[in-house]
Amino acid sequence: MQSQTPLPDFIAGLLDAIPGVSGDAQLTFIVAAILAGAIVGSLMLTQTALVIWAKRKITAAFTDRIAINRVGPAGLLIIPADALRLLSKELIVPEGVDRPAWDLAPLVLAASALFGFAVIPMGSLLGINFQVADPETGLAYVFATASMASIGLVMAGYASNNKYSFLGGLRAVAQNLAYEIPLILTGMSVVLFAGTLQTSGIVAAQSETLINLGGLAIPSWYAFVNPFAFVLFLIANLAEVGRNPFDIPEAPTEIVAGYQTEYSSVYFVLMYLGEFIHIFLGGAIIATIFLGGPAGPVLPGLIWFLIKIWGVFLFTQWARSAVPRVRIDQLIEIGWKGMLVLSFANLLLTAVIVGVIV
Amino acid sequence: MSLEEPEPSTQLDVGVSEDGLNYDQIEALLGDSVIGRESHVNAEGFVIRPDDVQAVLSTLKTEAGFDFCSCVTAQEYQDRYESIYHLKKYDDPTQEVSVVVPSPRDDPHNQTAQPVYETAAWHEREAYDLVGIDYEEHPDLRRILLPETWQGHPLSLDYNQEKPQIVTLREHANPLQDDKRSPDDPDTMFVNIGPHHPATHGVLHVKTTLDGEQIADIEPDIGYLHRCEEQMCQQGTYRHQIMPYPDRWDYVSAGILNEWAYARAAEDLADIEVPEYAQVIRTMSAELCRIASHALAMGTFALDVFGDFTAVFQYAFRDREVVQSILEDLTGQRLMFNYLRLGGVAWDLPEPREEFFEKVRDMLDELPGKLEEYHDLVTGNEIFQMRCVDTGVLTPEKAKEFGCTGPVARGSGVDYDLRRDDPYGYYDELDWNVVTEDGCDNFSRVLVRLRELEESARIIEQCIDLLEEWPEDDREIQANVPRTLRPDPDREIYRAVEGAKGELGIYIRSDGTDKPARFKIRSPCFSNLHSLATMSEGEYVPDMIASLGSLDIVLGEVDR
Repeated sequence: MQSQTPLPDFIAGLLDAIPGVSGDAQLTFIVAAILAGAIVGSLMLTQTALVIWAKRKITAAFTDRIAINRVGPAGLLIIPADALRLLSKELIVPEGVDRPAWDLAPLVLAASALFGFAVIPMGSLLGINFQVADPETGLAYVFATASMASIGLVMAGYASNNKYSFLGGLRAVAQNLAYEIPLILTGMSVVLFAGTLQTSGIVAAQSETLINLGGLAIPSWYAFVNPFAFVLFLIANLAEVGRNPFDIPEAPTEIVAGYQTEYSSVYFVLMYLGEFIHIFLGGAIIATIFLGGPAGPVLPGLIWFLIKIWGVFLFTQWARSAVPRVRIDQLIEIGWKGMLVLSFANLLLTAVIVGVIV
Repeated sequence: MSLEEPEPSTQLDVGVSEDGLNYDQIEALLGDSVIGRESHVNAEGFVIRPDDVQAVLSTLKTEAGFDFCSCVTAQEYQDRYESIYHLKKYDDPTQEVSVVVPSPRDDPHNQTAQPVYETAAWHEREAYDLVGIDYEEHPDLRRILLPETWQGHPLSLDYNQEKPQIVTLREHANPLQDDKRSPDDPDTMFVNIGPHHPATHGVLHVKTTLDGEQIADIEPDIGYLHRCEEQMCQQGTYRHQIMPYPDRWDYVSAGILNEWAYARAAEDLADIEVPEYAQVIRTMSAELCRIASHALAMGTFALDVFGDFTAVFQYAFRDREVVQSILEDLTGQRLMFNYLRLGGVAWDLPEPREEFFEKVRDMLDELPGKLEEYHDLVTGNEIFQMRCVDTGVLTPEKAKEFGCTGPVARGSGVDYDLRRDDPYGYYDELDWNVVTEDGCDNFSRVLVRLRELEESARIIEQCIDLLEEWPEDDREIQANVPRTLRPDPDREIYRAVEGAKGELGIYIRSDGTDKPARFKIRSPCFSNLHSLATMSEGEYVPDMIASLGSLDIVLGEVDR
């Protein structure tokens, strides 16, 4: 493992090195923290910008189409074009919306997902460790911030003064409740293995070699150690980010666009952004607790980390293209009667294994 | 196989004899109710008094076995209004009878047939809307195609067509106005699904009352795509001017099937014999249309259940494109084929013929593999089965009650297909099967369509074999039809073909001119859509959307 200095400390060190800036250590640290947050946030926002292009290309590949190929090389210029288009649209505020809540909901949605990245160890590039903070309660913090999205969803749905939005908001909350508990319980089974909530600790615990297959060292990533938990988590994560077969909160053919029906222009961009950052956060959590975080051969850690996130994104797009959507009552049933029971079983099993064998 | 209970046949076959229906026996059954007889080309018509409608129809239904009210035609004469109930039997649609109900011009009224045949409720609403006959005791006699604020009845004789019917928004009924909440259950919510909604397959407006997420009450509101097709056909000449219109009813690739409905009715009306070679081409091209239409139906149904423009939808379009390009080679068009002519088809197969045959054969060879893919991806998918099995249930009894036909009826185990039961074209010479499924749910309707693709492919293959072998000097594509067709006056006919969505029937009355005096379209989608409320009551919104998708309606045909 390379240097474990969190990013803000590293930046503070750089700032101190600049003559004339150093002095007030507190101020330096605050500036450094803000800078670090901005860097990590921008990194993720760049990824979501890329999604504008990648999502279309990926879906097109799944559905036997070509997708954008005229705007720039391979259609890549669609990213600035779309950004410009979306940002220059008129913001339509429907009559009778519940104003502060309606305005805040997109912010809450986008922010809640971004917050989570603060404690994710994204590996290092050129000796810089991309992790804003590494508290002892790291994993609990990630789940807590990710859950805040539910508040945003219900705010959006309720404040829009639209029946489709209302239904979508209620569906979203019911779904998140039903799937967050299995999600967290399955995450906890990893914590039992690693013995720590600290994200860097979990990553470190996965660096040992599990088994040697003819010279090829298989690391003890928890996806290999406990594939059952991995699959459970992957499914719960699909529901958490609202992708097929669990895209019920926005179900276009049923309730138009669910909670985002009434949002346009910048607010819509924020919603959309929030949604994709959420998928990336889901991918980041999966990468951290099941796929060894930034670990990987040859390439730098950060690149590996991004590859893993995109892998999870690819999986969600695959599910979206090929799997039908379940009905709301079936979804709740799967969540409470299936996933919850399985995740408890998984937790118990892990506890027994960890307590008795290890 | 049919789900129906074996009915006691002794009571239900009044008038059935070896050589067709004995109408005298049926007349005897009806007794004094019959005040006259009319002879239509397709069946005998019994003239009855406006107050006897329910009594006569229920006698015919319960004692003579006429369990299918195919269509209700209303029209205005110089001296009277008239409603015609076209009755058939699901077991044998060649056994037909018309019940003709005249009513006075100054007070057009007519007892409703709704208690006897549920499907009559919508047909009578349409008759009231367009012609202006007052159906007494009708539970819900409102306009159905035209806006509620419309003035006058456009197909009545004294309707002033010059005067524009301006409907101001203020006058228009507010859908929120009447409170759908019942006092003892105030927890329901009224939602307008459509006319602009991602899943209504066109401009359909479903007034939905929700109890939580479950449907407490729905009411399809149609007419957004009403284009006066009947009126336009009445203003066109038989020979050339009507044929382009059928393409515009069910416009998603079922064009030739629709054209055949008009061709069949008009040819029987004017006694035109179609050459055998042309019949084979018609049969082949119609089945090509059916494949394209069913592929699209499957794709859009997947769209409703899968939730997005997913792989299945795109695959369905990809595979439909192959058929579409064959149709383009054949007819020169991709959407509005306009290929059939009275007495034949527009032109022979494209040259070089071998190339065309090869193209069709390639399509047929690839079809089984594609169907397998659909079965893997769609019907074999467990989530799909979870969503579709036992949802949108339409029992065979209800299906008959609502006059459902086509894949909707066959998915409910009603073994009814006009291609076999009332043969036309070249169908009775070919070897194929009618597909039925007993599930009565959304899943069965999808299965029926997928299996019908195979049967259509079989039909096309046999047609191709025939066409390939056909001697060159015997390729007659057009019968001798007078340039101006003037069928004898006062001939009336109701003829139907098996369209992509079900029984597509045409009623024509001639008045000795070269244009029809009355042209009535019996749209299968119209009757099928009527059953939506029954199918989706108490179910969840997604299931209602799925049921709507499984009905496979095309609003162009519903609204005409």
